[in-house]
Amino acid sequence: MKRSVRRSLPKQNRREFLIKTGGALAAAAIASPPIMTGAAETVNIGALYPTTGSMAQIGVGCVAAAKLAAEMVNDAGGIKSLGGAKLNLIVSDVQSDTTVTRTETDRLISGNKLSAIHGCFASALTLIASEVAERAKVPIITGSSSDQLNKGRTYTFTPFARASQFAKAQLQMSKLVSDTPKVAVIFENTAFGTSTSNGLKELAPAEGVEIVMFEPYSAGFTDASPLVNKVKASGANALFSVSYLNDLILIVRTVKQVGLNVAINGGSGGFVIPDFYKNVGKLAEGLQGVAHWNHDMSDEAQKVNAEYKKRTGEFLFEYAGGLVAQTFMLADALERAASTDPQKVREALSTLDVSKGYAAMAPGGKVKFGPDGKNVYGRPVGVQWQNGDLASVFPKEDARAPLLKT
Amino acid sequence: MLEILAQAVINGLLIGGIYALVSIGVTLIFGVVKIVNFAQGEFVMIGMYISFFLATQLGVDPIVSLVVSMPVLFVIGVLIQHFLIRRVLGLNDLPQIFLTFALSLLIVNLALMLLTANYRTVHTWYSDEAFHVGGLYIPVAKLIAFVLAMILSGILWIFLHTTDLGKAMRAASQNRDVAQLMGINPNRVFAVALGIALALAGAAGSLLMPFYPAYPLVGQVFVLMAFVAVVLGTLGNVIGALVASLLMGVAESLGIQFIGADSGLIVVFALLLFTLAVRPSGLAGGRRR
Repeated sequence: MKRSVRRSLPKQNRREFLIKTGGALAAAAIASPPIMTGAAETVNIGALYPTTGSMAQIGVGCVAAAKLAAEMVNDAGGIKSLGGAKLNLIVSDVQSDTTVTRTETDRLISGNKLSAIHGCFASALTLIASEVAERAKVPIITGSSSDQLNKGRTYTFTPFARASQFAKAQLQMSKLVSDTPKVAVIFENTAFGTSTSNGLKELAPAEGVEIVMFEPYSAGFTDASPLVNKVKASGANALFSVSYLNDLILIVRTVKQVGLNVAINGGSGGFVIPDFYKNVGKLAEGLQGVAHWNHDMSDEAQKVNAEYKKRTGEFLFEYAGGLVAQTFMLADALERAASTDPQKVREALSTLDVSKGYAAMAPGGKVKFGPDGKNVYGRPVGVQWQNGDLASVFPKEDARAPLLKT
Repeated sequence: MLEILAQAVINGLLIGGIYALVSIGVTLIFGVVKIVNFAQGEFVMIGMYISFFLATQLGVDPIVSLVVSMPVLFVIGVLIQHFLIRRVLGLNDLPQIFLTFALSLLIVNLALMLLTANYRTVHTWYSDEAFHVGGLYIPVAKLIAFVLAMILSGILWIFLHTTDLGKAMRAASQNRDVAQLMGINPNRVFAVALGIALALAGAAGSLLMPFYPAYPLVGQVFVLMAFVAVVLGTLGNVIGALVASLLMGVAESLGIQFIGADSGLIVVFALLLFTLAVRPSGLAGGRRR
C-alpha cells in the first residue's frame, strides 16, 4: 500500500510497537472464553475488516452488515442440518494494513475453530488474507474485485463481478453519455486501482472508446489540483477515477473549481457509499459509478436495505450489501455440508447453485461458482447519484431508473 | 505549456503554505526544546475538528474559527510542556521520542474512538469557488489559507526578532546553558514555544477545513511533509522550514504534472537527498534561527 511507503521510518516503529502491545491485548480479549453452551453447536465465521485506519469508514459498515446478516440467519433458525446451530461471528480488525492483515488472519485461524472467513473489502488486503486462508485450508468468500483473487486459489470464492467486468461496464456507460467518448483514467496505484484500470485499458479499443490519459497516483494526496490540471490538459470529456473516498472528494471538488466539464465515473470503492454524498453534496448529483451490488436491485435487497437503514440511518452500500448475500451463501453451504469442517464447507461452496432468496442477491440474480471460484453469472451494475440516492441505471435488466445525462 | 507550468507552480505554492504552518511548528519545537514532536500532525487534526464542530454546531466559518483553535491549542501546548515534556528533558533521547509517539498514538486512537473514522467536511460558500485569471485558476479557499499562513509566519518572525520573549527563545535555542546563565527561564520559554507551535498546527487545521476532509488519521498526511521540510530547511530554522515547505509543494506539484501522478513524493524525497548530499545541514546551512 502506498500508505506504508508514505510513512517515515519512525512510523514503522510505531506500527511494530502497536502490533506488539495492542495486538497482545486484543489477542487476550478475543481468545477469552469459548462460546460453548452445551446446546446446539455454533459455527464460527471469521470476519476480517479494517475497522481502524484509512479504510475504517467502509470496514465499520461491513461489520455492521455482517452482524445483521448473521442475525438474520440465526433468527430464521440457524443451520438446520446442524441442529439449528447459530452463526458466531468473530470479528478481527486488519487496520487497513497488509502486514497486520497477514498476522491477524493467521491469528484468527489458529486461535479459533473457523468454518469459513469473509473479508476484507480492500483487494490489497483480501489478496493477503486469501493466501493465508489457502494455506490453512479455510474457505474465504469475498466481494473484493481484483482478478488476481481467482488465480491459483482453491479456497477463495468471489460471488460478484470482477475488476475486468467493472471496466467493461464503465466503458459502455461512457458511450451512453457521449458518441465519441474521450476518457481520462486516473487510478490509485495499489491492487484495486491498477487491476481495475488495466482492465479499462485492455477493453477500451474493443468497446470503441478512446483513452486520452492513463495515470496512476498515490492514494492519500494532500491536493488534487495537479492531477485535475493534467486531466484538463488531456482534453478528455469523461473522467474515470478509480479512487478511495478521500481522494475522490478532493477530485470532484477540484473539477468543479477548475470549471472542467467532464462526465465523472467514480467506479466503485469510496464512490458508492452514503458518506460520499454527505461530503460532496449537490456536486455528486449525476455522477456515475459501478458496483457489484446495489440496494434497489431486487425485493430482497430492498428488504435488507430497509432493516440496515433502520439500524444505521444509512442505505446499505455495495460492499456491505454483498456481504449479507455472502453470509447467506455460507449458510446455504453449511446447510448442505451438514458439518462445521472448513474443508467440507469449501466442497459445499464449490457446488453452490442458487437463483432465489437472500443468497442470490447479486446483479443477475444467480450464483454458481466456477473452478476458479468466480461466480459464472457475476456482473456489475451501473449506478448514478440521483437526489441523494444511488440508483441502478445500467444494464437495462438491472436498471431501476433512467441514466441522467448531465 | 507555459500555462500548465504556471498552474502547477500556483497549486504547489498554495499547498506549500499549509505544509509551512505544520513544519514551522515542528522546527520551532526542535530548535528551542530540542525534541522531535511526532504528534504535530495530530494537533492539526484537533484544529480541524475544532473548526468542524464550530462550523456544524454554531455555524462559524472555519477560517474565523482560527481565533478559537489557535488559543485552545496554545493552552494544550503549554500544558503538554509543563506536565509531560518537562519531565523527560535532560534524559537521553529515547524517553522523549517515546513520549511524543505515545501522545500521537493516544490522540489518534482517542479520536477514532470518540469521533469515528468518518470523513467530515465543511462546505462553505467559497469551498468550490475559484478566481479565473486568463487560463489559470486559483481556488479561493486555498488562497485564503495561503495568505493567512504567510501572515502568521510573518508575525512569528517578528515576534522572534523584536520581543524579549522571542529573543529569549532564540537564545535558548542557540545555547540553553548560557541562556540560563543570562537569567532566561527555560521552562517558561519552552512552554511558550510549545504553545506557539501547537497554535500554528491548530491554524493549519482551521485553514484546511474548508477544502480538506477531517478524519482521525489526517495528521499523518501532512506531518511527513513537515518533517521533510524541517530537515530540508535546516533543523530549527523557521525561515528555512517556510522556504523548504513552499519548495516542496512546488516540487510535488511539478512532479505530478510532468513526471507522473504517483511521483510527487519521489520528487520531494529526491530533492531532499540531493540537498542533503550537497548541503548536509539543509538549505540554510548551519544557521539556526
